[in-house]
Amino acid sequence: MNTMRVSHRLKRWATAIWQVIGAVNIRAKILGIVLGLVVLMGVAATIEVRLLLDQTLTTQAREHSVAVARDVAARATDLTLMRDYYGLFRLLRDTQANNPDLRYAFVIDSEGAIIAHTFGAGFPAGLYDANIVTSNEHHRSVLLATDEGDVWDTAVPIFDGRAGVARVGLSLAAREQTVAAVTSQLLITTIMAAAIGITAAALLTWILTRPILQLVELTKAVTGGDFSRRAQRWADDEIGALTDALNAMSDALAQAERERAEREQMRAQYVTRIIAAQEEERKRIARELHDSTSQALTSLLIGLRSLADRHRSPDLRRQVDDLRGIVGQVLHDLHALARQLRPSVLDDLGLAAAIQRYVADCRARSGLTIDLAMPDLNGERLDPALETALYRIVQEALTNVIRHAHATTASIVIERRDGRLRAIIEDNGCGFDPAALRGDGDLGLNGIRERAALLNGHLIIESAPGNGTTLYVEFPLLASAEESYACEPYSVGR
Amino acid sequence: MPVNRILLVDDHAVLRAGLRLLLDAQSDLHVVGEAEDSRTAAMQVAALQPDLILLDLSLTNGSGLAAIPSLRAAAPHARILVLTMHDDEGYVRQALAAGAHGYVLKRAADAELIAAIRAVLRGEMYIHPALTRRLLEDLLPQTPPVSPWESLSEREREVLALVARGYTAAEIAAQLNLSPKTVETYRTRGMEKLGLRSRAALVQFALDHNLLTPA
Ligand SMILES: Nc1ncnc2c1ncn2[C@@H]1O[C@H](COP(=O)(O)OP(=O)(O)OP(=O)(O)O)[C@@H](O)[C@H]1O
Ligand SMILES: [Mg+2]
Repeated sequence: MNTMRVSHRLKRWATAIWQVIGAVNIRAKILGIVLGLVVLMGVAATIEVRLLLDQTLTTQAREHSVAVARDVAARATDLTLMRDYYGLFRLLRDTQANNPDLRYAFVIDSEGAIIAHTFGAGFPAGLYDANIVTSNEHHRSVLLATDEGDVWDTAVPIFDGRAGVARVGLSLAAREQTVAAVTSQLLITTIMAAAIGITAAALLTWILTRPILQLVELTKAVTGGDFSRRAQRWADDEIGALTDALNAMSDALAQAERERAEREQMRAQYVTRIIAAQEEERKRIARELHDSTSQALTSLLIGLRSLADRHRSPDLRRQVDDLRGIVGQVLHDLHALARQLRPSVLDDLGLAAAIQRYVADCRARSGLTIDLAMPDLNGERLDPALETALYRIVQEALTNVIRHAHATTASIVIERRDGRLRAIIEDNGCGFDPAALRGDGDLGLNGIRERAALLNGHLIIESAPGNGTTLYVEFPLLASAEESYACEPYSVGR
Repeated sequence: MPVNRILLVDDHAVLRAGLRLLLDAQSDLHVVGEAEDSRTAAMQVAALQPDLILLDLSLTNGSGLAAIPSLRAAAPHARILVLTMHDDEGYVRQALAAGAHGYVLKRAADAELIAAIRAVLRGEMYIHPALTRRLLEDLLPQTPPVSPWESLSEREREVLALVARGYTAAEIAAQLNLSPKTVETYRTRGMEKLGLRSRAALVQFALDHNLLTPA
């Protein structure tokens, strides 16, 4: 149970650490590794060298102090026995002059009295007892920590202890200086190695990440729909293979996109041609009805009138009047049919007049209140394809209002804003859910969308059940087209 | 009784023959010539100086409407009566603006034509009755707003101005930092205060009150 808790905690730690490490980029990771390694190696080497050096130098100093002490003891034997204090003092002074590291030296006689020493002022208290050698020992060394640094104190018996003891103190100050110098040299080397390592690592990561960043850019471009971008292949490694694969994918996507665009364009052209042909056909039939059939019927009407005028017989006149009534009705119906197919007003007088007429017919037919505002279309002409499209769109939208909306009021606004033409068809009826509209089903709203798209326009539907419906159809207006159609003179007839 | 001289301009030969038969049967009317396109018509008018020109709007090569000014120039005293299939008031407006004196529909030619010719000859205007109503609708009085624009709240005015400029509810909501539902509420309330029943009525109102000038 306890181990389980520990492993759980370890896992939490690992996640926390990974969150930090994982969040930094590859460059930082590699730099971190290199820097860490160099610093670790440098510090470890420094510590190891310091320890070894310290040890070696200490041992050396000890041996040196033993050598000096033995030398002093050997040379002091006669002097001590002869009680030549001055000779002893000179011996100690010479020894100190020959060994700069020697802190002090003194000689104790067989009774234990200090008979010569190198301390000018006074003998330091406690030093005497710090190192007591017995006469059967060869020598004895003690490391003393003084306020002037470590000192090796060595005592050697003179003449096997029968003449006294010689003591010397050898300072370790030189050892500390050497260790400090070596340490700082090592640290400088470490820092230089780290600097070189970081430069090399930065170069390496640049070489490593450059192709990866490029691939990221490429992927972003593809996601954004730009299939023209290609990544450069830098090296023959795994990243090179990945680059090839991504480039091939971009090629395939670009090809597919080209084909799709071509198909879409062909389809749009095809639909445009079908719509144009349909309008042309309707126009032709409407003209035919107007120009030939209706004129012939009008002639018949006038002929019948003449006939009635010339004959006094009431029977005949009644029959002729009946015929005139029938012909008049047929003429009226024909005219309505021709207008339904394609109103000549649309070609002769333009969109505004055609819509006014259509709206008037709808009012009469359905009893619906229809408000109309076209503030920016003062009899001016637009691109014929645009006029036809807008007319058909208004027609379809109003048909929907009459058929589905159960509305009391409808409204049509056509206005111009920022070089765009917007038609807004609105009703206060039952509304519907535009999201539920099937993309392939009914022709009505989909037809509006399609017609708009063919002229670079688009349809927005705002409706909710119980809230009425608003259709916004918006087209771009080309400035040049606007002008050229604005000043074209009206024309009637064929 | 003076006989009034009439020129027929129509591209349909059978119809011209029928008209000639009908009109010549009237003791006060006499057809002096016929033309089927606007160029011959202008020449005939200049040569014959008729009292009345019976003009179709669709001619062999071009529009009868476009021919009216030149016909008037060729015979300033001649009256012009349009006889046509087109029953849209747009054509009526344009014909009258160009200088015609009357407008008769072909489908009513048997009943109205002779009366119309006599009226126009007397110096009156004649327009087919079904068309006069549509022409005059513009002149019918508009219902005045219940309360003026200034009585609306700041927000209502902002919303209505954008509605009149044709923005969608979603666009207005985004622009004013409101929810679409709130936009709908302001719009409904503002319209009610103004006594307007539809967006088109609002656009017309805004136009009449000069509210659409760029903000
Ligand atoms: N103004 C409207 N008010 C309420 N519902 C509407 C309105 N316009 C469309 N709808 C709904 O959207 C549906 C789709 O309309 P759409 O015009 O595409 O097809 P349709 O009118 O049913 O058939 P058609 O192809 O003959 O036009 C309609 O069936 C109707 O339910
Ligand atoms: Mg429909």
